Amino acid sequence: MKKVFLVLLMAAVTSLIVFAATPIKIGAVLPLGDITGDQAAKAMRLAVSEINAEGGLLGRPLELIVIDDEMTPEKGAAAISRLATVDRVDFFVGGMSTAVHFAQIPVMKSFQKVTIWIGAAGSQCEVAVGPDADWYFHLHPWDYQQGASYGQGWTDLAEAYPDIEINKVFLAYEEGAFGTGSHEAYLVLQALAAEGQGAWAEVMSDYMGVSFKSATLGGGDYRAMLQQAKKYDPDLFVWAGYDADALPMLQQAKEVGFSPKFFVGAPPGWPAHFGDSPLAEGVTLYGMWAPTINRISPVAEHFWNAYIEMFKEEPATYFAPLGYTNIYFLAEGIKAAGTIEKSALIKALEQVEYASPIGDVLKIAPSNVIKHQGFTAQKILQWQGGEQHVIWPLELKTAEPEYPFPSWDGR
Amino acid sequence: MEKISFLRKHRGILILVAILVVVAIWRPLAAIYGVQRGSLYALIGLPLALTLGVVGIMNLAHGDLLSLGTYIVYLFAVNTGMDPLVSIIPVFFLLFILGVVIYKLTVTRVLKAGHLNQLLLTFGISMIVLELMKVIWTTRPRSVYVDYSSSSTTIAGVRFGTYELLYVVLAFAVLIALQLFLKKTRLGQATFAVGQNPRGAKIVGINTDFVYLFVFGLSVAILGIAAGVMVPRFAIFPSVGAAFTMKSFSLVAMAGLGNLTGILISGIVLGVGEAIVQSIPGYAGWSDIVFFGVLIAVIMIRSLRRQSL
Repeated sequence: MKKVFLVLLMAAVTSLIVFAATPIKIGAVLPLGDITGDQAAKAMRLAVSEINAEGGLLGRPLELIVIDDEMTPEKGAAAISRLATVDRVDFFVGGMSTAVHFAQIPVMKSFQKVTIWIGAAGSQCEVAVGPDADWYFHLHPWDYQQGASYGQGWTDLAEAYPDIEINKVFLAYEEGAFGTGSHEAYLVLQALAAEGQGAWAEVMSDYMGVSFKSATLGGGDYRAMLQQAKKYDPDLFVWAGYDADALPMLQQAKEVGFSPKFFVGAPPGWPAHFGDSPLAEGVTLYGMWAPTINRISPVAEHFWNAYIEMFKEEPATYFAPLGYTNIYFLAEGIKAAGTIEKSALIKALEQVEYASPIGDVLKIAPSNVIKHQGFTAQKILQWQGGEQHVIWPLELKTAEPEYPFPSWDGR
Repeated sequence: MEKISFLRKHRGILILVAILVVVAIWRPLAAIYGVQRGSLYALIGLPLALTLGVVGIMNLAHGDLLSLGTYIVYLFAVNTGMDPLVSIIPVFFLLFILGVVIYKLTVTRVLKAGHLNQLLLTFGISMIVLELMKVIWTTRPRSVYVDYSSSSTTIAGVRFGTYELLYVVLAFAVLIALQLFLKKTRLGQATFAVGQNPRGAKIVGINTDFVYLFVFGLSVAILGIAAGVMVPRFAIFPSVGAAFTMKSFSLVAMAGLGNLTGILISGIVLGVGEAIVQSIPGYAGWSDIVFFGVLIAVIMIRSLRRQSL
């Protein structure tokens, strides 16, 4: 009898040890050929290594499995299937492109694993996810939330700085889905503003949008568009294109003598060493994060230093702190729930408040469609002295706005 | 009679000048931008025309080799501080060597194979070059800023950029140099002969293998000139040159095989067409349609004219 008891005890202890050593598997899908995906994946690895160095979660180590979606929808969808069926992950994280995510959503719905997504701003994705998907958490602001936050930002800036006056808005948009989507969103905002409604009501009395062909798609000649912008003489000139357009756009603006009061770029990322160019001074941009947030946020400072120490490179896109946030938000939920059981974890994640290296505290609230939306606003940043500074939200600002956009003379 | 034959001989150039005068009066900026960008298309299209006309190979890696050229210019600028325009000289020779290596290792093996095999080979080279650039430099754009690249001047109340006039100068310079090479040098005459009739050239003792090798190397080398002049105005990223492959092929199709002057004329016509469309508010997205529409129209007119002869 004693022998049987001992055998059973040993079996129980062994299975406990084996279970304790079984990692909690997190499956990430990111475009690794792009800097956003590359740095987000690295930041996730950093977060996992930090958590494992502290003993893991629930006595189990974390294991991160990253698959490259190569920015193609079919590969992104296949990656989700593979993570669920071959790698048998417990959670899905990652994300960047809206088009890729749109193809992934039906596959995710079939597995219904807890999913925390940091990319895909296109709100057609939340419509595809639907209001009943309680397993789905989306951290990046949706496109309409971004548009509203910019309007709020410009209104706040115009109120805080009496010399700033914004009435006429010009949008230069690339011909692809990203640019035309932005133009359509601005048309809606303008229609609302004309009725005195929406976040842009105080700062958009007139609007004009003109398309251009991005250098990424074989274009790169913006002069005809810039001539039209110059003729329109906007208070706010915004271009929605890609990183390859950033410097040539400024060069050609200088060439045609176009110098609006605010020169705003809204690409997903910026080219290497953009801040070193004298043309970058005073360029305003939209983004979720800037390295200068390190100076006001200890979490951001820790992330910055740890990332550089581990990868010997600087984070250059907000997808890096967002990737880090992705893992830590999940970890905080698991810690609070004390289990990875789905319903308990969802409840815990709904309550998590995580001070993110992005600079804001991440809290979950419903969006227009889904139950679990994280961040709801972008920031207004500005290149000053080769660095990106926050100029809005005012409570997070790291520098005063440089206004108006400095003259081209001597640059 | 002499006057009539002169007009007939230079009909293309005269039509081009007439078009430019009309556009310059109607939309002066579109004329300037069109000539500038059209000259760049021609500068990049000329070496493709040379390869296609003499070696008989449609090089689908043309644009990717141009991208590689921009990265080499970038490396010279970052590591030695060399001005991109000065780096044209070393990049020209480096790309010539690269062209020779690519030819010896790969192209020479498919010369007698069908066109499909040749296309597959150059497509493979294109993929390898593109992916190598992504691995080495990632997709994040880089740039080399020189202050003269955004210089401008005002003439008769029209303010326009002066840097891109370099595209015009270099396109004409390369065209004249190629014409002189083909007509005044022994190797050039041999190249011309091989382009006209490779079998006949071989029979009379011309080393056709060497001509192919030299022409392929020279074509890749000329991309170094284009890369050097592009870098101050373009972001550098792996697919920056990709769009130029199709545009270059379009110029060759429009000008006809072996017609180098026609490449320059076609480039300017298509560039001006593109610039006119871009200058009309709300119609910028139509520029590619116009580009290829003009191309199809010219090819069809030429085809109909041939049929009527």
